[in-house]
Amino acid sequence: MTSIMGRGAGIVFTKEVVDNLRDRRTLVAALLYPFLGPGLILLMVFAIGRLSKEAELPLKLPVAGPEHAPSLISFLEQNRVEIEPAPGDPEAAVRSGEKMLVLVIPEGFGGQFRDGNPAVVKLVFDPSRNEALSSIQRAQALLGGYARQIGQLRLQSRGVDPRVVEALAIETVDVSTPQSQGARMLAMAPYLIIISLFVGGMYLAIDSTAGERERGSLESLLINPLGRAELVLGKAAAVFLFTLVALLETLIGFAVILNLVPLERYLGVQMSLPLPALASILLVSLPLMVFVVALQMMIASYTKSFKEAQNYISGMLLIPALPALVMAILPVRESLWLALLPTVGQQLFINRILRAEEVSPSHLLISSVTTLAAGAILLALVVRRYSREAILFR
Amino acid sequence: MIHLEGIEKSFGSVAALSGVSFSAENGRITGLLGPNGAGKTTALRILYTVLQQDRGSARVDGFDTLESPREVQKRIGVLPDSHGLYPRLTSRENVRYFGRLHGLRGETLEREIDGLIRLLDMDDIADRRTEGFSTGQRVKVAIARALVQHPKNVLLDEPTSGLDVPSTRAMRDFIRRLRDEGAAVLFSSHIMQEVTALCDHIVVMSRGKIVASGSPEELRRVTGKDSLEDAFVAAIGSEEGLL
Repeated sequence: MTSIMGRGAGIVFTKEVVDNLRDRRTLVAALLYPFLGPGLILLMVFAIGRLSKEAELPLKLPVAGPEHAPSLISFLEQNRVEIEPAPGDPEAAVRSGEKMLVLVIPEGFGGQFRDGNPAVVKLVFDPSRNEALSSIQRAQALLGGYARQIGQLRLQSRGVDPRVVEALAIETVDVSTPQSQGARMLAMAPYLIIISLFVGGMYLAIDSTAGERERGSLESLLINPLGRAELVLGKAAAVFLFTLVALLETLIGFAVILNLVPLERYLGVQMSLPLPALASILLVSLPLMVFVVALQMMIASYTKSFKEAQNYISGMLLIPALPALVMAILPVRESLWLALLPTVGQQLFINRILRAEEVSPSHLLISSVTTLAAGAILLALVVRRYSREAILFR
Repeated sequence: MIHLEGIEKSFGSVAALSGVSFSAENGRITGLLGPNGAGKTTALRILYTVLQQDRGSARVDGFDTLESPREVQKRIGVLPDSHGLYPRLTSRENVRYFGRLHGLRGETLEREIDGLIRLLDMDDIADRRTEGFSTGQRVKVAIARALVQHPKNVLLDEPTSGLDVPSTRAMRDFIRRLRDEGAAVLFSSHIMQEVTALCDHIVVMSRGKIVASGSPEELRRVTGKDSLEDAFVAAIGSEEGLL
């Protein structure tokens, strides 16, 4: 009995695969789209590389009234700052984005400096401009450094040990490994990996359910001597295959970027994604794939047309984005209740694997079992839906 | 051999069939005649297992549609109300899919497919994808797909609707051929001329009930009318559905 059952599902599976390999939409979703994620990461890496190179270039700083503070100017010039003439209206120039920042040294600077009062300098900047942030930070750090240096000299000249004003000695210990620094660049990767699961089999899920009904072939198909469970499992297996292909492509894309592209040149560190990590990501994703396939088929079986199904199922792409957004805003640590949620748990695990961190085996097991169970329940509901006469007339 | 006994079926509060009983014998063409909305499609759908009746029993070769739907499905070939094809598959692939689902494979299956392609005169469309086929071409593929497993019971829901004159003639020849091979052929139509031209036995339906049945001669005798057309009008009580 089971062999006959497997055969029916196998025939449906083969037909759906052959049929959908001839569909442009399915092919684009399953074969092309998965490379977008790794491509996006690669672009980000290049962009970050360009920014860090900028930090090594001299800082171009327009200064108004440099003649009032020749010693500050020479300090800046010694620290790789190129002094430029300031625009007529510094604030307007910064506001319009013509200049990233402008240093204004007022006429009274020399007098205040000589009297030992805090000498006023004005730094005009707009921190809402991302591209200006690194220049602003560098300028602030340099001015602070100059102020500290002069302060120490003044204390010494009055016979005071400069250390008395240093109440704290702050030592920082950077425990980030090259791997975890690199993982910051890869913060998007878990989301991109998971979204490939949602896209890979999407069109096949719609085509083989809502599409089959809309074309009017479902009634003929249901008359064949074939259990409804076999029918649903055969179709689900085909959707699963395309989803798996999409995931593998995404993983291969990331593996190529992390293992073969010379990232060191752009990021200063080389990252790697060893084979065991790839295998772990695949393993973590398998239960989620079952869940996603079942969910897509469930939704598509309740819709009236291909278009309607497409609307709902592409709306589902927001599901994996939500935890990613929440995690970007609230720093969420891996916890058991989060791990229990399908898609959220997997994103947390994949994130840890990419950062070369330990994944709690018990959490992983519980998450996989709950995700698989949710997928199985959904599939059973799809089978039940297909066993009702309403499936033809909805 | 097809047999319906006391079939009742409602959709919500609307009664589609109220106590329908009739038989379709082997080696005979049985016509289910009635105006649109009489319940012909519902009766056929109960027979071919996609609907379940509220009361009564439907049997094919002695197998009950509710108790052993798989056995019924193995014994019927159906051209249903909606008979869409897979547009990205060729005619041959469409037929092959259903043949496989019926347990055929290999040489046997390919021989059956070739035979049907010859019989239905589909050589020119056999290896073309079905996207963009005319109604006649689509019906041919759907018929081939329904009959690839050589069923002893053939159910056809309005098989000639949308066909042009040559295709209609070819379809009638084909239906007679199935009968001559010993199959029980049950087909529905709302066109009286078609039923009289083909059928050995006529079942007239109106508003979910059987209002008359018998051979064309018996129908004329029972209603006391000379022409079958008048008999039909007398049976269903209106001229609705006549061409």
